[in-house]
Amino acid sequence: MGRFLLKRLGLAAITLVLLSVIVFALAQLLPGDIGRNLDGPFASPAQVAATNHQLGVDKPIVVQYGKWIGRLARGDLGHSLEYQVPVSNLLGPSLGNSLKLAALAFLLVVPLSILGGVAAALRQGRITDRTITVGGLSLTAVPEFVTAIVLIVIFGIVFHLLPTTAQAPPGAGFFTQVKHLLLPSFALVAVLFGYIARIARAGVIEALDADYTRTAYLKGLDTRTVIRRHVLRNALLPTIAVVATQTGYLIGGLVVIEKLFNYPGIGQRIYIAAQNKDFTMLESGVLVIGIVYLIATLAADTLYSLLNPRIRYGAAE
Amino acid sequence: MDQETRRRLEEYRRNQAGPVENALLDDLLTGEVDRREFFRRATIFGLSTSAIAAALAALGDAPLAFAAPAAVRAGGRLRVAIIPPPAKSLDPHTYQDQGGLETGGIAGEFLTRATPSLTLLPELAVSWKPNADASVWTFKLRPNVKFQTGQTMTADDVVATYLRLLGADSAALSAFKGVLSASGVKKIDDLTVQFTLDTPTASFPYLTSSTTYQAIILPANYKNGTFEKTPQTTGAFKLVSYTPGVGAKYDRYTGWWGGSAPLDGVDVTYYTDDAAVTAALLGGQIDLIGQIQFATGRPLFGNSSVQIFAARGATHRQVPMRVDLHNQLHDYRVRQAIAMTLDRPAIVKTLFNGRADIGNDSPFAPVYPSTNKTVPQRKKDLRTAKQLMAAAGHRKGFAITLTTEQTGEIPQLAQIIQRSVKAININMKLNILTATAYFAGSQSGGPGGLGTTPWLNTPMNITDWGHRAVPNVLLNSALETGGVWNAAHYANKRYDSLVKAYEGAIALKDQLKYSKQIETILLHDTPVIFPYFYNYLAAGSTKVKGYKADALGQVYLSKTSLG
Repeated sequence: MGRFLLKRLGLAAITLVLLSVIVFALAQLLPGDIGRNLDGPFASPAQVAATNHQLGVDKPIVVQYGKWIGRLARGDLGHSLEYQVPVSNLLGPSLGNSLKLAALAFLLVVPLSILGGVAAALRQGRITDRTITVGGLSLTAVPEFVTAIVLIVIFGIVFHLLPTTAQAPPGAGFFTQVKHLLLPSFALVAVLFGYIARIARAGVIEALDADYTRTAYLKGLDTRTVIRRHVLRNALLPTIAVVATQTGYLIGGLVVIEKLFNYPGIGQRIYIAAQNKDFTMLESGVLVIGIVYLIATLAADTLYSLLNPRIRYGAAE
Repeated sequence: MDQETRRRLEEYRRNQAGPVENALLDDLLTGEVDRREFFRRATIFGLSTSAIAAALAALGDAPLAFAAPAAVRAGGRLRVAIIPPPAKSLDPHTYQDQGGLETGGIAGEFLTRATPSLTLLPELAVSWKPNADASVWTFKLRPNVKFQTGQTMTADDVVATYLRLLGADSAALSAFKGVLSASGVKKIDDLTVQFTLDTPTASFPYLTSSTTYQAIILPANYKNGTFEKTPQTTGAFKLVSYTPGVGAKYDRYTGWWGGSAPLDGVDVTYYTDDAAVTAALLGGQIDLIGQIQFATGRPLFGNSSVQIFAARGATHRQVPMRVDLHNQLHDYRVRQAIAMTLDRPAIVKTLFNGRADIGNDSPFAPVYPSTNKTVPQRKKDLRTAKQLMAAAGHRKGFAITLTTEQTGEIPQLAQIIQRSVKAININMKLNILTATAYFAGSQSGGPGGLGTTPWLNTPMNITDWGHRAVPNVLLNSALETGGVWNAAHYANKRYDSLVKAYEGAIALKDQLKYSKQIETILLHDTPVIFPYFYNYLAAGSTKVKGYKADALGQVYLSKTSLG
């Protein structure tokens, strides 16, 4: 296990370096320059050049990248070119916000999807199965901004049941924050439920057909015990992998949801940084999301190996 | 007129009024200006209330009635949405976007304040006076005004603020260019500042008002980068916390010279999406949106729980057509023909539900008193348009690309133009860029002299322009030969000399004389289409009282209350 972790950490470091180089290079292709963005269209060219020089963006790309990597090695994420404050001051709270939303969305969608997938598999071919699979697929097919707007209109505007903005007032307690996050979480559940439920369903169907399941029944175990002890452990392995791959989307890919619910998450932060060519914020933001994504997949792989002794024993051999 | 009123007026005219003030009083008494216009110009020239009252009484008018403010409910925190967020740090002299000016304007104050009807009210200056030709302006400051740091405001602070506004990194340079230089700002005594202008400018006080949103008065020892860290303005609210892209918090300033604002404080949340901010107001999460547009905020209109605040102004779009390229647009008849394909009343109805003034292809917005309304309004006239195209040798039309930015209703305007010019066989392709790409590139040098940026160099484009209290900057920068924002690359010496004459004219009748000639030339040459000047709109819940929309978008909350 130790060698496994070390190998994965090494690969993760290489992945992050490559990611940072690619993002830096791609950002150069974006139109505009930060000096013009900050000073506005009516500033003189001399003013814009002075701003660019002050921010250091008129230096060669390799020099800019080198400076950024050097600061990063000292644990310094740099200063936002746009706002002139440390990147960590803005990125930290944004990441925290995204983690809160992702946590609530996962808390809702994972048990719901697994229950739905299991229920569909156990009643394969019947009304329950059809409702869950077709309904889930339909919800997944609808773009998240459409679902979000429908939820906002019904629950927020017509019935005033839930707030339309995801950001709770400063100093709000735990339950108030959760209340504000419910509508965006529901929108995310709608997007993810169909996919995860189908994977869970497929895994359960395969496990139900397996020899070891038949043996468990023949041994005299009741259905609940068979499902809990034998079927789920095997059926959920692919589901864990799928859930882990959604982490990257939930942490950094929610630009539309964050815009619609005015939630200051990391997705919006990076989107605005890309628009305004705030390289420092963009690079650091992408790196942070990359780290979160790698941690999530590492955790998923570890959990996978814990649940599946064959992988553990195969690695040991 | 009773004896006392006559005595006051004559004493004022003899001892205090200069040539400018006396000329204005003559205009009123001979009927050259009406009561309303007199009142507006009197505030620009800094006539005192008693002088205005006496002059109006001389006409047999009822005395000026200053209604006592209605009783308001004190208390509560107003939740305001500002869209979009400020793009950079909050140093007032660098404001160049809506988010910055609204954020700073809640806490900051100016020497004078522009009202929705374009009059000027005293704020940190109590009076102002021009010399004979309006080339020197003397401002008397309000005494005993305290900054939120505890310092008392003096002329040193005002001088330092204006020197900052005239510095190399100021975003207000374009407003002051050719009008005021650093050497012209002088302290006379602790409560008097004198501005000696580069050019006589009758409208100079507007440059000291809230219309020049960078001109927030700050202490002389103000350090860049500290606006969001330390409350240090003079306004009714102090900025106590700020998170870029997220929000800001203001508390009532108990040392405000104006007394006590009704609200305990203001909580600002920044938004980037129109649908989100509309939903927030309808859902009750916010009380006031600083700026809305009809095109993107339709659910708010006609909703009984929402009130719309409107201010008529000069915010507009310009559609320049480059006159210097060797293409079809070089011929003024083609440009006129394109302008004549537009059904302007229908455009205003579609895009603004009627909340806009129709433009007549010049910077003279209908809201300006100096706009000469005797110049005929251009209308849709396809017959004449086709005749013009035939005379220019383009009966069969041609292909052209219209480049523009994804801002507000501009993409829809572009589509309307594309459809309209089909009637004269013009095949128009649309190239709609993000605002970042549209304003990217250099603005000087190159073959055309205006660099490479699309908004100043493409054959035909649409650009958004903000409100100005007077059209001077638009006349200069956008249309004068060599103007820095002259996207049409228009060059007409007669036009240039008329603009200079207009800007130096003090009497309204002289301004109207020059504006008529300018409007006529521009209608003939049509280097730029000005389709409309739209109202500035804000929206709030019905609980919000005492709030007025500002043509520029200032969010002024010192007299606002909740209920």
